[in-house]
Amino acid sequence: MSAPALSSEARRAPSTASEQATFAGTGTLLGFMLRRDRIRTTAWVLGITLAGFYFAHAVSVVAETEEDLVSLASLYADPVGRMMVGPGFGMDAPTYERFYASGYALFIYVLIALFSIFTVVRHSRAEEQAGRAELVRANVVGRHATLTAALILTLTANALAAGLVLVAGVSADYDAAGSTLVAASGLAVGLFFAGATAVTAQLSESSRGASALAGGLLAVAYLVRMGGDAAEVGGSGLSWASPLGWSQQTAPFVLDRWWPLLLLIGSGAVFIAAGYWLSTKRDIDASLLPGRLGRAEAKPSLGTPAGMAFRTLKGGLRGWGIALLLAGLMFGSYAQTILDAADSLPPEISQIFAGEDMMLGYLAYMAVFMAVFIAAAGVSGLGQLRGEETKGRAEYGMSAPVSRLRWLGSHLLVLVVSLLLILCLVGLGMGVGAAATLEQDGGQYFGQLFLAGALQAPAVLAVIGIVTALFGWLPRAATAVGWVIIGFGGVMTAFGGLLDIPDALAELNVFGHLAEYPVQDIEWTPILWLSLICMAGIVLGLIGFHRREINRV
Amino acid sequence: MSESPPVIRTQDLVKEFGPVRALDHLSLSIAPGEVHGYLGPNGAGKSVTMRILLGLLRPDSGSVEVFGRDPWRDAVSLHERLAYVPGDVELWPNLTGGEVIDLFLRLRGPYDKVRRDELVERFGLDPRKKTRTYSKGNRQKVALIAALAADVDLLLLDEPTAGLDPLMEAVFQEVVKELKDQGRSVLLSSHILAQVEALSDRISIIRAGHIVESGTLSELRHMTRTTIEVETDRSAESVAGLSFVHDVHTEAERTVFEVDGDHVGEVMSLLADLGIRSIVAHPPTLEQLLMRHYGDDLSQRGVSSGTGAATSGTRADADASVRATTRTKKVS
Repeated sequence: MSAPALSSEARRAPSTASEQATFAGTGTLLGFMLRRDRIRTTAWVLGITLAGFYFAHAVSVVAETEEDLVSLASLYADPVGRMMVGPGFGMDAPTYERFYASGYALFIYVLIALFSIFTVVRHSRAEEQAGRAELVRANVVGRHATLTAALILTLTANALAAGLVLVAGVSADYDAAGSTLVAASGLAVGLFFAGATAVTAQLSESSRGASALAGGLLAVAYLVRMGGDAAEVGGSGLSWASPLGWSQQTAPFVLDRWWPLLLLIGSGAVFIAAGYWLSTKRDIDASLLPGRLGRAEAKPSLGTPAGMAFRTLKGGLRGWGIALLLAGLMFGSYAQTILDAADSLPPEISQIFAGEDMMLGYLAYMAVFMAVFIAAAGVSGLGQLRGEETKGRAEYGMSAPVSRLRWLGSHLLVLVVSLLLILCLVGLGMGVGAAATLEQDGGQYFGQLFLAGALQAPAVLAVIGIVTALFGWLPRAATAVGWVIIGFGGVMTAFGGLLDIPDALAELNVFGHLAEYPVQDIEWTPILWLSLICMAGIVLGLIGFHRREINRV
Repeated sequence: MSESPPVIRTQDLVKEFGPVRALDHLSLSIAPGEVHGYLGPNGAGKSVTMRILLGLLRPDSGSVEVFGRDPWRDAVSLHERLAYVPGDVELWPNLTGGEVIDLFLRLRGPYDKVRRDELVERFGLDPRKKTRTYSKGNRQKVALIAALAADVDLLLLDEPTAGLDPLMEAVFQEVVKELKDQGRSVLLSSHILAQVEALSDRISIIRAGHIVESGTLSELRHMTRTTIEVETDRSAESVAGLSFVHDVHTEAERTVFEVDGDHVGEVMSLLADLGIRSIVAHPPTLEQLLMRHYGDDLSQRGVSSGTGAATSGTRADADASVRATTRTKKVS
């Protein structure tokens, strides 16, 4: 960086001098990042550790006897179970430790991957976007120092979390080698996604774009693995196309294979090298994917509050919509797999799903699962509204002749219509997926599956109603409560049947009230109640917003 | 002008955020066609005033009227007649500058496209860029163009030129003068005293949520001190004893001092007797107006007791002391 100032002697040996210079300040920056993130990083590491301890010890609580364990393990041995959690190694002869590795370890890996993505983006692209990177780089700080410090922070925290996950395994009396392998797999997944994010941070101009690219890779990895693992016990070829698949092919406590981790570590290292190389190919603040020029004048549709709301919410909702449509298509297309599996399964296992027709039971279950995600899109949209307010754009927008009611009403209108559209798209995706792959009678399920998706609307909208009411009266709490509802709904939908939850608590799950169409008949009472909650919530929210101040500090 | 009802009238406005009193019996009045400079340091309550005038916040007590109506209740109809430029302009990152301008103009109804294009041209804005790529100055330009191109009677400008370069600052002053000639009213809050000085008919100085002085620039000058630099044949040190003369410095024959605005005449005749060789008199600048208020504040409160820092007190010191004042108020 200071090359012109170097003496001729130094110029003759430029490699060492300039290499040192590009990393100058790494240590200081690392200290600075640790200072900034001391609570955030600690919380993540503790969160991952807690998940590790919970999973390791919960197994023996959930399944007290050998029989319980065998019946639970059969869940993870069948295609739907494999699809949700992994290839199901050793589920024919289940032990607590095998159940832990097969059923739960994946969630630890995903947590580590998310932490890695968020942390690398936070300290690279987000800093550049905010203009702070410029301030930092104006000091004696080398070109690669920021990325290096961010990676060291991420990987050190990952190593710490992995170490504690190992402790969790050992504390549950699990085999040390297998526990170490679980921890090492988590670490390798972290390295892979930290590396991938080092690349996406160079590609995108915004931190949201960088996170979305890396997060998208994680989602694709998950989806590909789902398809691969559902096909065969132990995973099929498709499982090997997913980095999450690699982490599970280690088969801890069963085969104890270490070599699949080399794939993760190798590609992670390649990604990191590529990230460094790409960062030298661009200017600070610039991106490799160029920003395009837009319209000099607005289209007529933009000149209304609804137009403003649409442009605000469009980006996020489009992302959710595409991802969920693809997921719907994919879940639908597993119908034949389930049907094949149902024939070969003993009847007592297929009864775990609602109704007699296992394939329909599976699809009804997936419809609820997708509804949770669609509601998540809604909560995320409402979170964006809160962001509009805190960032001052709501205030600026309402300085035009737009009333509080009209502002919130327009945004809600756009949000609700979009969510209904996504619901229909997901239903359509599941219907098309099933119709396309089923060997016989595919067409006849299409209408039912479409309806199954659309019928989740009351539950999704009830969540919107609750969060909107809070947005009007307790804006600070609104989004957080929304995510708690989503998280609880997700856990209850996925594991509710396995956990011994008191009825009163289970009743609180917004997504647990609708009948599981097409296996069960449509029930109108819950539909009415949920719709009522939605409408009351929206009205309450509008009233609250009408009478409260905007962005009150 | 005094017979027509004021465009903005606030009486004893009080606004509290938890323990902090942001506005403390604020009374402000702006006549039609007036450019009103609104001066005060950060945290004095300028932006809070703007947001109350917009009906985004509700005062705890006191009354506020814009065009004779309550901004909290009649926000929408009032907003058709006014435009606002926020102090810290945040725009929708996925819209272009041109789109934001059009959005705001259209929300107010039909607009003059020629006027819009002319302002885009004069401010040198590239309207095709996404606002996320704009610098602070360019974001400010977007909000300014959207407000200045609107056919409204009142402009609420909250530090509108923070981040603009001097050339754009000049363009801004030009445009505001044109609007003033057309009879529009402007409430212009600013740190940039030269700008307020150049544009404003009247000025209000706000400190800790309270208007401490209000009037035309010449009225304010009357209430303040003129700086005089004089070289005399005989020593001018005798003026130091006068009650209305302050800060006397003498270097050989040259004497520099400040005199209260309403005693300039007396001092001049005194000096004339001493044999004036050369004399320079500065009217008070707004910096002095402000510094006097905050300087007094500092010395009264003994923040810098004995160090003499009151005179050299920086702006940051002044701000800190204002905040300190706000805090003490809430306790009492």
